[in-house]
Amino acid sequence: MTEEEGHRPHEMGLTPPEPPGVVHDLGATAIDLFIGARELYSVFVRTLYYVVRGKRDKGAVLRQMFEIGNRSLFFVSITMGFIGMILLYQAGLQAKRVLPDFSMLGATYLELLVRDLAASLGALMLATRVGAGIAAEIGSMVVTEQVDALRMCAADPIDFLLVPRFLASMVMTTALIVWGAVIAFAAGAATAAIAFDVPLRTFCDMQLIDWGDLSTGLAKCVAYGAAIPVVSGYCGLSTFGGSEGVGWATTRAVVNSSLAIIILNAVISTAGLLIFGAK
Amino acid sequence: MSSSATESATGSRWTSVAEGTGAAFLGIAETVGGMGVLFGRILVRLFALPPRLDYPELKRNLHKMAVKSLPIVVVTALFTGAIMVIQAAPLVKRVGAEGLLGWAAGFSTIREVAPLLTALMISGRVGANNTAELGTMVVTEQLDALRALAIDPVAFLIVPRFIGIIVTLLVMTLYADALALFGAAYTGEGLLQVDTRTFYNGLTGGQLYFGDVADGLIKSLVFGLVIALASCHFGLATKGGAPGVGRAVNATVVASAAGVFVLDYLVGFLLG
Repeated sequence: MTEEEGHRPHEMGLTPPEPPGVVHDLGATAIDLFIGARELYSVFVRTLYYVVRGKRDKGAVLRQMFEIGNRSLFFVSITMGFIGMILLYQAGLQAKRVLPDFSMLGATYLELLVRDLAASLGALMLATRVGAGIAAEIGSMVVTEQVDALRMCAADPIDFLLVPRFLASMVMTTALIVWGAVIAFAAGAATAAIAFDVPLRTFCDMQLIDWGDLSTGLAKCVAYGAAIPVVSGYCGLSTFGGSEGVGWATTRAVVNSSLAIIILNAVISTAGLLIFGAK
Repeated sequence: MSSSATESATGSRWTSVAEGTGAAFLGIAETVGGMGVLFGRILVRLFALPPRLDYPELKRNLHKMAVKSLPIVVVTALFTGAIMVIQAAPLVKRVGAEGLLGWAAGFSTIREVAPLLTALMISGRVGANNTAELGTMVVTEQLDALRALAIDPVAFLIVPRFIGIIVTLLVMTLYADALALFGAAYTGEGLLQVDTRTFYNGLTGGQLYFGDVADGLIKSLVFGLVIALASCHFGLATKGGAPGVGRAVNATVVASAAGVFVLDYLVGFLLG
């Protein structure tokens, strides 16, 4: 025993590098997070700068609006329809257990839809579809050195690639979410009529919606619409490692945009609650 | 003359719409069929005696999928709990029943929101990653190499990933349930001045049953099944070199998200 201890390598002057401990891992993660946040912030600020000062390529924004908006229409309609049905069904089950009174079901559902659920769930859907698309496109441009070619031509890739997507996404996310809310409400009304016998006239009840709900919902639409292209564009621009890297960049774009949406949701909802109060 | 020209133009437009719709449905049928066939092949390996799968690969995948996704699941769950409380706040204030806050936020979190959001995060992180990995292997002909060595690629690569994703999602949903309620309790205290004890009392006060928790867990099992099948199917069906991997990842993410929502409705309706 003691003999073995005497022959430990570090006592012979041959210290092997210590295996990284928890503190090392924690520090590395924190530094990575900090660097990532700083770069994301820089991409965001540069996007805003070029929105104001950049050169306009006329067709680019329209093309991106078609790509982001029209191409996602079918997907958003289907998912929001199913979300509307299941949300109302759950709400009905929940209401049944406390007070078997469905007269306020429609009004509460509509308020919740306008204030939060339409924007957040719709944006999560768009984050998977649009975010993955943006990251894959920009990522493969980075890997095939087209972005370097842009820089050689003195065109900032953020001005040329990200700004049109940013503007298009802000407009089209809002439009798609409004459309998604309509679909979800219609699907909910149908479910209420079939599963809980709530007449359509009772269900379409807007008395609970006020300016606070509308402005919170719209603020969320715009914030998500801005966050998705910035986060996915950042993930796409930081692609490395060839074609395999494009796959990882897509993955990171989806996860990070979804996280951004959830965090923004918490922030905006808290702000809305504090500003407009709980009525 | 001109009318016939416009007529033929509208005719061709309608044909192209019909063609597009038909192609879309054929595409969906092809995907669902492919996933079904893959599921059958996985089941054959799983129910053989002894089960034909690679245990070291299973362990590696479980570590990569579950342990490494813990941070994003924790963050998602904590924020989700906070959001649920903020959304339940007006309802609770209107009725004036603070004791109901725990129940109102907990019911929808456990039955619906926690399994759904966890599934979306896991589909984005694990499902997409899995497709990228399998797709790269297919494109670089590593699967053919396995076959040439008489190693069954399904037993060696697919079955461990399939089990890995399902187990990951189930365990992560359990974590997310607990953490979301934790986040919700403290948001309620900080923002609405509802004591955490009142919150937990409302939660356990009789209106929430084990059936509700089981409901969410059954949902997460089904979601895991869809995500696993979609990501393995699109990974194996990758074609067209490096850009094909990007397309496969995109297809996986979209198909998993759509599948999760459609099945959420069906399972929710069936379980009642």
